[in-house]
Order: sequence, then C-alpha cells, then structure tokens
Amino acid sequence: MQEIISEEQQVIDIILIAIGLLLLMALAIVLFFYFSRRRIIKTELEKANLEINYQREVLQSTIITQEEERKRIAQDLHDAISSKLNVVSLNANMLSDTSISTEETVKIAENIVKVTSTVLENSRKIAHDLLPPTLDKFGLEAAMEELCDEIGDARAFKIDTNFQYGLNLLSQDDELHLFRIIQELLNNTIKYAEAKSVQLSLVANGSEVILTYKDDGKGFDVAEAKKAKGLGLSGITNRVEILNASMEMSSSIGNGILVRIQKRLD
Amino acid sequence: MNHFLVLSIVGHAILLVNVIVYFKSFIRNDKAFKIFSIYLAFSFCIQIATLVIGKGFHLPNLYLSHFYIVGQFVLLSLFYFQLLKNKLILFVIPAIVALIGIQFILDPSLFFRYNPVGIVITQVILVLYAIFYLYQSLSGKKPFIIINAGILFYLLSSTLIFASGNLVLDLDISENTRFILINVNRVFILLLQILIFTEWYRNYRPALKSR
Repeated sequence: MQEIISEEQQVIDIILIAIGLLLLMALAIVLFFYFSRRRIIKTELEKANLEINYQREVLQSTIITQEEERKRIAQDLHDAISSKLNVVSLNANMLSDTSISTEETVKIAENIVKVTSTVLENSRKIAHDLLPPTLDKFGLEAAMEELCDEIGDARAFKIDTNFQYGLNLLSQDDELHLFRIIQELLNNTIKYAEAKSVQLSLVANGSEVILTYKDDGKGFDVAEAKKAKGLGLSGITNRVEILNASMEMSSSIGNGILVRIQKRLD
Repeated sequence: MNHFLVLSIVGHAILLVNVIVYFKSFIRNDKAFKIFSIYLAFSFCIQIATLVIGKGFHLPNLYLSHFYIVGQFVLLSLFYFQLLKNKLILFVIPAIVALIGIQFILDPSLFFRYNPVGIVITQVILVLYAIFYLYQSLSGKKPFIIINAGILFYLLSSTLIFASGNLVLDLDISENTRFILINVNRVFILLLQILIFTEWYRNYRPALKSR
C-alpha cells in the first residue's frame, strides 16, 4: 500500500512539476514579448521625437532666415527707394514755390529726373534680386550665367564656370532651390571668404545633376558653422533636404570650401 | 476540501459574469469579440452540462470533454483567424476536426475515455496561434492582448492536466490525489476568467465606449 501511494505520489509530482515548468515557459514567453514590445515602442518614440525636434529646428531656421530676408528687403527699400523719394518730394515742393527763378526750376527738374531714374534702377535691382526674371524665362543655366556675370563684373574674384545643363531637367521649384543655394554660396564667398577665384560647375549626366562649388578663400570649420543657426548654411541644408538631394561640404580654415550637391533625376 | 469547492464556484461565477458582460457589449464590437463571446457562452454551457450530468444525475460525463475540445478549437481558431488574418487557419480547422473524427471511427471506445492526442494537438495549435499573435503585437497596440496571454497560460498548463487524465484514471489513483490535479486546473480556469474579465473591464466596458 505504501508503495502504491508513493508511486502515485511520484506520478502526480511529476505532472505538477511539468505543469509548473509549462507555466514558467508561458510566463517567460509573455514577459519576453511584453518587454520587447515596450522596448520597441520606446525606440520608436525616441525616433519620432528626434524627427519632431529636427523638423522644429528646420522650421525655426526657416523662420529666422525669413525674418532676416525681410529685414534686408526693408533696409533695401528704405535706403534705395524711400530716402530717394523723399528727395524727389522735397524737390517737387520747391518747384511749386512761385518765387524761384527759371534757372533754378530747370536745375531742380534735372535733379528730380536724375533721382527718379536712380529709384527706378534700384527698384528694378531689388525685384531682380528677389526673383531673377531670367530664371523664370530662360531657365537655370541662363540665370546662373547672368548671376556670375554680375558678380564677376563687380567683385574682386574670378569665376570659372562649367555649365552642362539642359533645359527643364528639374522642376521650376527645384531649379529655384538650386539657384538660391548658389546665390547663398556666392554671398558667403563675397561676405567672408576673401577668395581670389571661384569654380562653379553644374553638370547633368543622364541620371543625376551635380553642382560643384569651390573657392580658395579663408575657409571655416564646418562643424562650428553648422552649430550656428539662422545662417546661410542652414538655409542651404534645408534646401538640399527639400530637393531630396545629397550634399558633401568640406572646408577648413585656410583651405577654402568645396561643396558638392548631387540630385538624382526621377 | 471545502475551499476548493469555493474555488470552483467562484470560477464558474466569474465565467457567468463574463458571459453576461461580453454579451452586453456584443453588438457594438467586431467579429473577433463576437466569436470570443460565443466561446465563453459555449464554455459555460459545457460546464453546466458537466455539472448537471455528473453531479445531478451521477452519470458519466467524460464524453463532454470531446465536444468541449473540438468546440474550443473551432471557436478559438476562428477568433485567431479574425486577429491574425491568416487563411491557413481556415484550412487547419477542418483538417484537425476530421483527424479527431477519424480517431473516433477507428476506436469508438475512445468516446468514453480522455483523448490525450486530440487535446494535445488542438491546444498546441491554439498555443502556436497565441504566440504568433504575441509576435504580431510587437509592432503596435493590438486588441485582446490580455485574453491572448490568458489563453497562452491556460492552454499550455491545462494541456498537460487533460492529457494526463487517462494516466491518472488508469493508475487507479486515489480520489484525494486526483483532486490535486482537478484543483490546479480550477485555479487556472479562475485565473483565465479573471484575465478575460480584466480585458473587458480595461478595454470594452460601456463607460469607455461613451467617452
């Protein structure tokens, strides 16, 4: 009897142990999935946050650039148009004065004509700077040539260009972005680089468009410049992002700058 | 032994409560929820029938386990089909049911014994579905995740209890010892029912819906 009891007890024990093991296994499986899921959700959340932060930064720098641009336009309008129109208004007032001599009238009128033509020229220039009509009418290559001619005429550095870009390879928006990038690069060179020569090339080969920009100016620390928000660099980066292109920028102090932007054609 | 009777009563009571609350939310919810509600009602009916036939009329009620196993397999398979959206499940259901049918044709006396092979096959397949569903739930918030965990726990552990049924009966093991296994099973059923109730309370109770 004792034997039977111990035997059946053994069977029951084994069954209970097996059940316990199975339970443990089930628990392990559930916990494993539970914690994996938590971890996955956590990493996804972090990724989403990073994305949001990045977009916030882009937005912020866009707004800063926009504000700076407005400031510049306001300054331009004030300097080049408002102050000159004040002179015209003053002269016109003087004309309405009956006590002045004919000789003076002629002189004042000449002055008005001179100032007015300057104002006209200035307003044309401002409008041209805001959106060059050449880009709209004759495409990116023509607009770039015009831009280089203008800068080459006025500035102390030489521009070597190499354009092999057909018409309408990119959409109008994309061309504008590329144009703005080039404008910004040239502006930086003019403002900071003290360069002697600039090499600019825009080459399209079947599947992609490659823009290369090189100057021999002072150069700068790329990592430092990227930290400074609201400057031209973030504007360029944002536009490259919008273009869905890739950009390599290398520069160091004393060695000029080399920028290469690659945009795949769809 | 008395508090084990309490355990059984509480288990059945929660099952009844679950049947009621799930059927009260029946119309508002999706197919998976409806199938699961039917599964609960089905379990309840089998439990009651087992009690009435066994305790009420003192007749053998073991054959009810076959209906329970097949019913559970079909209903939970359909439930997982709704969750996993895998057509393979629809082919597995008739195949397994046919297999169990063939078992009974080959050995009709099986009807009055436990069917360990049937139990193991059906429950292991359901466990696989449950694990696969856990894997799918990695990619985001999925419904019925608490029920899924409950099913995984219950099926894995109860498989062994049911499968060892014949062994325990054949060994002529004393009533007392057998009760240990029965009560372990009762505890598991109770836990499963609590988890099922938790699922309803956390995700399907009417106050949540009206918000």
